[in-house]
Amino acid sequence: MMKLVQVAGYLGSGKTTLILSLVKEMATRGRKVAVLVNDVGEVPVDGQVMEKYGLTVKDIGGGCICCQVAGNMRATLNNLARNQKPDIVIIEPTGMAVPSAIRDGATIDPKFDSLNHGPTIVLFDTTRAEKFLTYETLERLVNTQLRDADIVALSKTDSAAPEKVEYARSGVLKINPKARIVMLATKTGAGVQELAAAALGEGM
Amino acid sequence: MSVVTMTPRERVVKFLNGEPVDRPPVFSGMGNVIRPVLDKYGIVFSRVHRDPAAMAKAAAGMYKDFGFECAVVPFDLAVEAEAIGSVVNYYDDVDSLLYPTIKEKCVKTIDDIKIPADLSKAGRIPVVCEAIRLLRKELGDEVAIGTYILGPFTLLGQLKELDELLEESFIEPEKTNEMLTLASDVIIKVLKLYHDAGADYLTVREMGATSDVMSPNSFRSLVKPHLQRIHAAIPRPNILHICGNTNYIIKDMHECGADAVSVDHKNCVPESRQKLGDKAIILSGFDPVKVLMQGKPGKIGPAAREMIPGASAVWPGCDIWPEIPGENMRELVGALKE
Repeated sequence: MMKLVQVAGYLGSGKTTLILSLVKEMATRGRKVAVLVNDVGEVPVDGQVMEKYGLTVKDIGGGCICCQVAGNMRATLNNLARNQKPDIVIIEPTGMAVPSAIRDGATIDPKFDSLNHGPTIVLFDTTRAEKFLTYETLERLVNTQLRDADIVALSKTDSAAPEKVEYARSGVLKINPKARIVMLATKTGAGVQELAAAALGEGM
Repeated sequence: MSVVTMTPRERVVKFLNGEPVDRPPVFSGMGNVIRPVLDKYGIVFSRVHRDPAAMAKAAAGMYKDFGFECAVVPFDLAVEAEAIGSVVNYYDDVDSLLYPTIKEKCVKTIDDIKIPADLSKAGRIPVVCEAIRLLRKELGDEVAIGTYILGPFTLLGQLKELDELLEESFIEPEKTNEMLTLASDVIIKVLKLYHDAGADYLTVREMGATSDVMSPNSFRSLVKPHLQRIHAAIPRPNILHICGNTNYIIKDMHECGADAVSVDHKNCVPESRQKLGDKAIILSGFDPVKVLMQGKPGKIGPAAREMIPGASAVWPGCDIWPEIPGENMRELVGALKE
């Protein structure tokens, strides 16, 4: 059974960095990982732990994952199940993506394998918390992404003042009170093990 | 006045023009071709997008073999972006059936947008025009020929990295606005070419401007003026489609000036009807993945009919994925014709 983990979040929130760290962490736990991204150029290539696939998910025109993209994603997942057989598939959509639409669109043909939906992780950049929580133009996207999250990873907590981190945490919880909050620190890598364990459904 | 039985073409065109029809048409404004049709005519999916005869044959097959009351071309979402310079992957060497996607976007700044002087010869636009002409020859006046194009914001997302577009539209909306004007120019010109080739109805698909990611105010200030210009300039009848929960902007959508608005399954259509009144033509989109691809025989019709309340007609809220079973398509058409 392949497990699907989605890492979503606004542009510059640290998705690619986190995915690379998660892939390494999951590999050390003996898992084979594949990554589907919205753009070939953004694949965080690490030849030791993952392969770069010719087929990638392309998002189109924003948050709406249209049926063509959903279909291509299904075909890509079928191919992975038939050939590479990874334990974990991490999907990195564009910063405009609606996580629930990606989750709904990610299906697999039962004759190849079955898909276990792992948590949706949404990154929230604490250094730009005020912008995300107060700009009217961003409100819709930020709220949609946060509401769809199982886990909100507060990123760059080692670059933001403690009061900003707390401001971000309480703001996020107001939008999604059920979200599990994980603190990520870029320099020390704190939080990655916790997220990997949560994604795999394991203890740390 | 009693209404006589109509041809599928009359039914579609009159319906979209707000005239009386014998029953709502069973059709789509978006991509629809399925594997049984491709197999019957020996068409390879990755090639169909570049071969007008195959494109026409496949589109006509949806009417001839499944009774769907339309023939719609093209099937992918990359035609106009490719004509402007983005590079498309057709997945020629892949076994699975995959839609073409943009593998290289051609725009970083507005200066990179180079509109071909003669769009009728650019990229695959002549392929689509020729397919429309062939469809008209093959189907005569019996079946309505539809075509679609991306809306300006969504088209920009095929030309420029989405994340950059999003950020720029928030921090430098005037720059995005200039690019949207250029994209709108292309849309108007291309739809006129499709209409001149023989298309009966045109759908503008602005799925990128969904309320799930764009605030209603941003839609009003950034996207709506361009859609209004487009719908005022293109031939009729035409349709505006936006995905997601569109009730936040349903009045704005209606004010864009299309003959009909199309929404998908995430939108509450009875609420849309309440907001728009009795006269508006609302196309209620069922989820083609859940209903047609994952739906079990016997459940397709009831699932599609759930979308009827408040709707002028029910149609697929997005493209029909080609891998759906033929019997599911038959059940859908039969159920909606009832």
